[in-house]
Amino acid sequence: MARYGMLIDTTKCAECYSCRVACQHQNHLAKDETWIKLNTIEKGTFPNVSFQVLPVQCQHCENPPCKEVCPTGATYQTEDGFVLVDEDRCIGCKYCMVACPYDARVVHHETGVVLKCKFCYEGVIAAAGSSGGADATSGASSNLEDIPACVNTCISTARIFGDLDDPNSTISKEIIARKAALLRPDLGTKPKIYYVR
Amino acid sequence: MLNNKLNRRTFLKASAATTALATIGTVEFKAFQERAQAFGEAASNVPSVCDGCSNKCGINVYKLGEHIWKIQGLADHPSSKGKVCARGHGLVTFPYLENRVTQPLKKVSNGEFEPISWEQAYKEIGSKLNEIIKKNGPNVVAYNENPRPTGTFYGKRFLDAIGSPNYFTHHSACSNGRDTGFKHTLGGVPSADVENSKYILFIGRSYGDGIKPSSVQELATAKDRRAKVVIVDPRLNNTAPFADEWVAIRPGTDLALVLAMSNVLVTGNLYDKDFVEKYSIGFEEYANALEEYTPEWASKITGISAEKITEIARDMAALKPNAVIEPSWRGAFGATYSNGAEAARAVALFNALLGNIQQSGGPVFKAKPELGTIGGPTPQPSTLERVDAEFKLVPTNHGVSAVLPEKAKQGKIKAAIFNHTNPVRNYSNPEYMTEGLNALELMVVIDVQLSETALLADYVLPEASYLERDHVISSDVGSYVFAQKAIEKIHPETKGSDEIFTELAKEMGLGKYFDFALEELNEAILAPANLSMKQMRDSGTITLALSNKIGTVPTLKTPSGKVEFSSDAYKKAGFSPVVKWIEPSVKPSGESVRLITGKQGYHSQTFTADIPELMAITEVTNGERLWINTRKAELFGVKDGDLVEVYNDVSTKQVRVKVTERLHPEAVYVPSGYGRFSEHLKTAYGVGFSYLDLLPYQVDPIGGTIMAHENIVKVRKVRS
Repeated sequence: MARYGMLIDTTKCAECYSCRVACQHQNHLAKDETWIKLNTIEKGTFPNVSFQVLPVQCQHCENPPCKEVCPTGATYQTEDGFVLVDEDRCIGCKYCMVACPYDARVVHHETGVVLKCKFCYEGVIAAAGSSGGADATSGASSNLEDIPACVNTCISTARIFGDLDDPNSTISKEIIARKAALLRPDLGTKPKIYYVR
Repeated sequence: MLNNKLNRRTFLKASAATTALATIGTVEFKAFQERAQAFGEAASNVPSVCDGCSNKCGINVYKLGEHIWKIQGLADHPSSKGKVCARGHGLVTFPYLENRVTQPLKKVSNGEFEPISWEQAYKEIGSKLNEIIKKNGPNVVAYNENPRPTGTFYGKRFLDAIGSPNYFTHHSACSNGRDTGFKHTLGGVPSADVENSKYILFIGRSYGDGIKPSSVQELATAKDRRAKVVIVDPRLNNTAPFADEWVAIRPGTDLALVLAMSNVLVTGNLYDKDFVEKYSIGFEEYANALEEYTPEWASKITGISAEKITEIARDMAALKPNAVIEPSWRGAFGATYSNGAEAARAVALFNALLGNIQQSGGPVFKAKPELGTIGGPTPQPSTLERVDAEFKLVPTNHGVSAVLPEKAKQGKIKAAIFNHTNPVRNYSNPEYMTEGLNALELMVVIDVQLSETALLADYVLPEASYLERDHVISSDVGSYVFAQKAIEKIHPETKGSDEIFTELAKEMGLGKYFDFALEELNEAILAPANLSMKQMRDSGTITLALSNKIGTVPTLKTPSGKVEFSSDAYKKAGFSPVVKWIEPSVKPSGESVRLITGKQGYHSQTFTADIPELMAITEVTNGERLWINTRKAELFGVKDGDLVEVYNDVSTKQVRVKVTERLHPEAVYVPSGYGRFSEHLKTAYGVGFSYLDLLPYQVDPIGGTIMAHENIVKVRKVRS
């Protein structure tokens, strides 16, 4: 059993939007449907100015408020901690959109179901199960840590994916080395995306 | 797996997509994807090359059935190193774009286009070209492209075959200034070994905006290794997250900064004397010229304190030779100011003072594999004088394309073929470009859509997009690279430029020079390395174990073979043999501002403006807006989001503003990807404006550039 998470080093994010488009193609999303949102904050006055880019997507919380409020059980968690949506059970009530403190959920334009980042779980599970072999049907790399489309494409390697329970995984080591922190841990959602800011 | 699972959502999508497919060519990319996914077609992949910008990154194109699904970067390719930017992802929708040109078009008397056959197109263009050449000689014909391996090989060979020397790229609006300055000092443009550098100074160059994925990865590594990174730019650009410091320089004064930094090294004896002695000429003359350029002098011009200028120079000297001023691209001295080419020379020479040429962490000339040549009759390059011969210093493998309209008006160019480029929108003032190109007797445009330039053409030849055909193999850093056909043509009547030039040459009686298939040419290109086309098709990119010989200063491609602190070529061309200060040609007053521009990470100038996924990013970010400094906005009575008029004697444009602290108050900034005005572009038409709309027609006599930032405008509020 693994507990998958992500690290996003915002000090290396150039706001290039490659993650957004890679995700859209991976998941067959329309041009204006995005599971990754970039928030840019400018600080200071000229010429002492800085800005920070904060990419936000589903945090795959251990205590997901979206799951709590879902009346049909469409939102569920897998053994490996992926928070997923069963599209056939979703009735489009949007309770989850209100409950999610990270604004991670998006209504699919045509079907009305509410979707979000899946951590590209199909490829991750396939790679984990095939002891390192590539999954031809998902077009995934053989390296499990390189599978989520946003991680795979990140031009500055600002994103790291892997097993948070494995102390030897790159992500576990980098969370400590880079003093990465969670978004709004005070809410008790126990998110699984760590941020370097 | 996923692809075989027909769930509710994909089923619904599939029905919609199947209906839409009845009208192929107007179906959105997503519909193709959905259809393939829903019907469970098998995934496969084809290694190829991205066409999104000049980096030509290696990509793996994943398909579901015959439809493109997505791409990933090829780990082996020197520019992508396994990564792809947003532009690359977005561009895979190119084959499926709406309003593609699907068959040859001829302009008829009422100014409208009429579809014709390829046979008729070749016949009419061929006989008209022959007629013009017979009457005026071959050097009234020009070929102009944004270079890609196929267009460059076939286009140049075609010019050679007809006997014209007039080959042009887009560089008068890109990097001619930099390329000219570096050519005459270091013999060419090296790349910076950023990964191993301890101090990286960027002047107007932004890795986070003008993206090459491998460079961004290298910068991220340098940051991990605690390299010092300083950005000199009037705008806090998107490389900022990687930088320790932003030096907000007054636009157009980068040359003064570098001259003063050089003065600090020379007067303080902080430069690499051993390097200068062994590997350079003309140092004394250069050192004498530098005397007047003190940090105090530069401070008044640049707005940067003398202490800061001195500090940067000394800090870099302390880390030499592992410190570098990044050679840049378009940025501050590619095509932007009257002193751009001179600033490029100053930058190259500052690097030489650090003794960093071909050293770890410095500017490095990287090895590329040898390309073989095709046998049979080969046309020789023309020895006639180029039509832009007055630009004596500009590399002739670029030329000064911005003067083509002027030359057309003067009757010196009578026929021109434009391939994979859009001069009317992207080279200079569009009204001037239009007026000039209208003087041509024959204008042929090869493109996938009816661009602003295509609309002026007598003939438009429909190009098969980059993923729909094989291309000529090229050599990149350490690698052979093959842009391979990934899908069948969406529109069967479109063709690659290899086929177009071959057929046109045959029509003109020059077929003997093109008596080979593309596959034979590619086999010949690979011959020196004993590689086969099968290997190339399997891998897309093949990297050889070539050494860059780091640590050994090579014989440079300058006349002396050394670094030229003083240049005879400049002297002969009527310019100062050593670097000297040149004022920007225009200056803003308190009432007016300088209009500057730059790339946005998710657009490739205006080339990607019609890509729906990328313009959707523009929509959420208000990416087309004009940036204005907060205090300047107050002065002009403008608030964030207001609609304003930007105006000068050349033109007036309306746009909304982004009020920000990230910009020098003497400038306004507009990203370079907007202002498409061809109504045939469904997504791009009418979004934003281009800095070129307000730029007067002007060309820098040294670097052959349009001096894109030598442009003063005023701003007034229209409404909230």
